Amino acid sequence: MCFRLVIGRIILEMGQSHLIQRPSRFTSASELALAARREIITMTAAAKASHVGSALSVVDILSVLYSEGANITAENLKKPDRDIVILSKGHAASALYSVLALQGFFPVDWLKKYCENDAPLGGHVTSKGVPGVELSTGSLGHGLPYGLGIAMSRKMSGVAGRVFVVMSDGECDEGTTWESAMIANHHNLDNLIVIVDRNGIQSLTFTEDTLKLEPFEDKWRAFGWETRVENGHNHEALSRALNKSSKPLCVIAETTKGKGVDFMENSVLWHYKSPADEDVKSAFSQLKEDN
Amino acid sequence: MRDVFVETLLEEAKKDENIILITGDLGFGVLDKFQKELPNQFINSGVNEQAMMGMAAGIASTGKRVFVYSIGNFPTLRCLEQIRNDICLMNNSVVVVSVGAGYAYGPQGYTHHALEDIAVMRALPNLEVVVPADPIETKLVTKFLAGTKSPSYLRLGKSNEQNFNQSEVVVSPGRFNELISGESGTILFVGSVGKIALNAAEELMNLGLSVAVASVPFLTSLDKEYLIPASLKGPIITIEEHSRRGGFGSAVLEFLNEENISASVGIVAAEQRELSQIGDQEFLRGQNSLQEKKVIEKFKALKEA
Repeated sequence: MCFRLVIGRIILEMGQSHLIQRPSRFTSASELALAARREIITMTAAAKASHVGSALSVVDILSVLYSEGANITAENLKKPDRDIVILSKGHAASALYSVLALQGFFPVDWLKKYCENDAPLGGHVTSKGVPGVELSTGSLGHGLPYGLGIAMSRKMSGVAGRVFVVMSDGECDEGTTWESAMIANHHNLDNLIVIVDRNGIQSLTFTEDTLKLEPFEDKWRAFGWETRVENGHNHEALSRALNKSSKPLCVIAETTKGKGVDFMENSVLWHYKSPADEDVKSAFSQLKEDN
Repeated sequence: MRDVFVETLLEEAKKDENIILITGDLGFGVLDKFQKELPNQFINSGVNEQAMMGMAAGIASTGKRVFVYSIGNFPTLRCLEQIRNDICLMNNSVVVVSVGAGYAYGPQGYTHHALEDIAVMRALPNLEVVVPADPIETKLVTKFLAGTKSPSYLRLGKSNEQNFNQSEVVVSPGRFNELISGESGTILFVGSVGKIALNAAEELMNLGLSVAVASVPFLTSLDKEYLIPASLKGPIITIEEHSRRGGFGSAVLEFLNEENISASVGIVAAEQRELSQIGDQEFLRGQNSLQEKKVIEKFKALKEA
């Protein structure tokens, strides 16, 4: 893995009262995740947007991918054999945008205009004109077939590089998940990695009370995939779980929806609610590097 | 049409290794030659249209030109959102190909009749809808589609369609293909219903009415230079083996409305009277108003109005 050295420091204003120095590119997933959490909460509050809980759930996964787990940087985007990351749970857009902006793919200023008229960053993952975003998502179950296609094409053409598709657990209700799982296995796509943000909550309530996913790991195994189950907020463990496999790989990242902010954790409400000023203040007082 | 499509695509794919053909487990005996000669450019995805279409978009995103082959409504209605989001929105270079337009799979029943696809696909932005009239046009549009990158939908008949064109003509978006000229009005058609159009024109000629007949292979890029003079000349009758709701006739009416032209337009389309009725293509056309006599009735009524 190759890291660009930190070559400068930028003063960045975060929230109302936090002046923080940040590197031009984070090499530590923990530092990146903390900075991204602040951005997520700030931008979601400013835009009066939803899905803050989903973003806080997945942000550690994305921070691992964009700091060390995947070979993708603002500088290598045009390389045909770089890694690909697709966020299929498009409602967690604020997490992806924050991580990409903090890693220098586009200006951090863009985050302030999240969901504004004619702004580049929409409420669900928007790719047009946004460097680093591979696919516009928002309707669940689209990212995996698309990523599968890229992985398949690379195999056909002998192009290296891996394809990471980050999904929600509720999203696995979609039939395309299992259609794709069969196709990937049949074609031996060991360059395809699914990471499931397994926070156990979907739109209305817990996944197991909605449509049982368990035994979840067994399902992927039965479809011919290698599986690894890790704490989805433990950056080192996640990073290790992304090591190469000889089959399509499913990493089940056990997470907590709303992670890092006690009143948002494990709550369906924060799938919808937008943080008010006092929520932002309270959230900022709790956030720390290792949750 | 089906065989001509596959033969033509094979020729083009031999010249361009970026052309990929994916099938949703259909095309028994039809795709064998392609698979045998270009195994690295062929994928049988299995019976999974939604994942297949998303996968096709992903493959196309890497710079390939992907043709996705299936029949009836399977590659259109079954995976509509994948076409909308992953192909149209992302501007990926995919051609959705459906064999069995209209009642081509007549005896197989309504599940296999493709009668709403034009309306649905035409509603999608950034998607060219292509409906060749005969094997000659099929060959030409296939070559055309192999050489471009636009997201497209290719609606094909099945087999044994006759040629209406006498020889290879020029096909391109924004251009109608006139088969016969006429002064009293115009019959426009899409797909393999050319025989109805030509027979109706012949009968009208016997009544002293000379009517032009043209095929419209590119349905989402209508021929302004042809259509505006045609609307001034006399009635326009459209014929399609498709529901009248939102189909080709609707496209012509929308075009004229956009041009602020008030014209006499008659739509001859499949009336879908009894969805469960079984029968061959010819029989079901007859049962659902796709007949010469309907074209003649409408033309005469509009001419006299």
